[in-house]
Amino acid sequence: MRFLRIILPIVLLALCFKVEAQLMDERELYAMTKQMGQFIHRFNYEEDTYGKRIYQDDADFRSAEKRKTSLPLLFDLNSPRTNGALRDYFVEDVTKKNNQFFEFLGGNWFSEVSAKFKWKGKDVDISLIMSIEQEGLGSKWVISNVFFSEFQKYFPQGELAEREKHFLHPMSHELDFMNIYKVFTDPQIVEYYASTDYTPDYLTLFFYEIKRGNLKFDHVEKVKFHVFQINNWYFEVSWFDRSGYNSGWLISNLVYIKEEEKDLLLKLYQPKK
Amino acid sequence: MNMKKLLFAIALAFFALTGYQAFAQEPEISPERKQAIDSLALEKVRDLSKYIKLIGAKTTPWSEANRVIDRAEELFAPDAEIGVSSLAKTTVDYYKVRQYLERLMRLNYDRVEIDWYKIQYVSDLQRQPNGTYVGVITIFQTFKGYDAEGKLVYQDTTKKDITVYVKRKETQIGGRLISFWDVLLGDMRVKETTLK
Amino acid sequence: MLKQLKNVIMIAMIALVTICGSTSCNSSKKLSKKEYKAKVEQADKDLNAILNNETEWTLEEQQARIEEMKQIDFSKKNPEIMEMIERAEAKLANDFAERDRIAQERLAEEQRKAEEQRLREIEEQNKPKTSLTDYFNMIINAKDATAANKAINQALDLFESPDAVVLIRLNNYGDYDKPTTAANYLNYLKDQKKLTVGIDNIKYNAENKITELELIKK
Repeated sequence: MRFLRIILPIVLLALCFKVEAQLMDERELYAMTKQMGQFIHRFNYEEDTYGKRIYQDDADFRSAEKRKTSLPLLFDLNSPRTNGALRDYFVEDVTKKNNQFFEFLGGNWFSEVSAKFKWKGKDVDISLIMSIEQEGLGSKWVISNVFFSEFQKYFPQGELAEREKHFLHPMSHELDFMNIYKVFTDPQIVEYYASTDYTPDYLTLFFYEIKRGNLKFDHVEKVKFHVFQINNWYFEVSWFDRSGYNSGWLISNLVYIKEEEKDLLLKLYQPKK
Repeated sequence: MNMKKLLFAIALAFFALTGYQAFAQEPEISPERKQAIDSLALEKVRDLSKYIKLIGAKTTPWSEANRVIDRAEELFAPDAEIGVSSLAKTTVDYYKVRQYLERLMRLNYDRVEIDWYKIQYVSDLQRQPNGTYVGVITIFQTFKGYDAEGKLVYQDTTKKDITVYVKRKETQIGGRLISFWDVLLGDMRVKETTLK
Repeated sequence: MLKQLKNVIMIAMIALVTICGSTSCNSSKKLSKKEYKAKVEQADKDLNAILNNETEWTLEEQQARIEEMKQIDFSKKNPEIMEMIERAEAKLANDFAERDRIAQERLAEEQRKAEEQRLREIEEQNKPKTSLTDYFNMIINAKDATAANKAINQALDLFESPDAVVLIRLNNYGDYDKPTTAANYLNYLKDQKKLTVGIDNIKYNAENKITELELIKK
């Protein structure tokens, strides 16, 4: 039943387009969410199903009713994760007060650029986390963090009990820190001697390795987006290159997450904020 | 006047003296004007599509094709690049605009059919830190290459995402100050899709 | 002696002709039988030639010959000659009429041609020169590059130079496309084969050549 509710508007939309020779494709292209910008417009209902922009003075601009039918179309309908009750809760939640919109310059959304690099001669995968930053008269994408397993390996989370064993006692200063050599005996755990607040700055490591010539960029493999803008929700947007009426930029993952829990997660994307 | 105010005044004077003036004074462009600029940008992309068709057509005389390549190249910013990937090879091959167009002219097919889908998507124009507007126009193209026997030997559908830079400029013409929108195409991403 | 006789006859003949010509006397009676017979034969031959269109005489000469014949009375002995004279006169009248008709027709034809030429010249002078919009359409509808280039070259004649400024106005808010030149714009039309503008304003120099063309998006 739910499937029908989702698929029906799509079929109706598809039927709306004139039938010409190479049509199938053209209708699919209409349905495809062709740019992330279009995803945002469709998400907010700032664009009708035909791709025509709806401006602020239009009655349908950001209409909650319209969003109820258009939002489900922005999900990957092939995945149970994004084609079930959770999605329906999301749509209901977002349109309930109809004050939840996705803003290009609204912050808290990131692009994850999966790229291939050469690290000391071998192929490695590195994810660059990008965010929009306002500057001057406009904005730009900046690198806000980087995920590279080789870096993370050096900073394992470690058992709390184990970590608690390693510290310099508070009177070490009186002995000219004669015990400090212990910090360096086991390089694997050197960071246990840093502040409890300490988090490794992977971006600095990354730049350092680039500057040292150890890391060389090769090419971009894939791009996706992580959106934290909607209250109590996180979703991921990925590119689906496939035929049919459910293609292009679509929500590929959806998680219900309390705002207070988001901060920790956001630290991974934007450690310096 | 405190230091902050002074700096602000200097910055303002700087913007007024340089080309930023137009932007500083035009925080919001009305939807009608935005649409005119959007259509201008879209027109440049359509012009490019037509040039690509002419360059690819085997019936276009060599001299004409070369002239058209010049005109097509003029649509782009000097440093623009074209990044091409296929279904078989996802890594991106980079071409200079001229290189890409000349490659198209020299394709080894007897006959080439290049068609553009009527559907296109024009993004919002966002401003860069220097005030220049930047947008992306997405279009779809089908390409068919035939051999001497008229047999279809190669076919693909590509999504082309084309960067568009829009900058407000001014010039004196016949004693009149003309404000115009300088539209230049930037990098173009050409990606093969499974749609056929 | 013979010469003298010849002179006498000659004078006599002239006198005779003069007298006869002025008095329209019936001279047949004065002719000898032999002379009359010769006249009949000559008249018969000449009339036949006239009636059968076998003479090279002009119509006037034919008429004069007939008048000459009428001086002799053939009615008694040779009514057939009289009848032939009548027919010849009728034919001659017809021929004159036909000649006049042809002459008139030729004259009318010449007049008509002259009038046509005059009108053509007037038309040529008053005919509006191929307009810029016509050239735009010729360029975009040209069957091939050669035809388009020809139209471009003709259109460029209307401009002060191929570099004359072309402005393209987008709307009424003072938004323009990047200014271009006449040559570039005409080539643009050739390549794109579409006309999306109308002519808004044209500035000319003293020689009536376009110095600045302002177009507006339709």
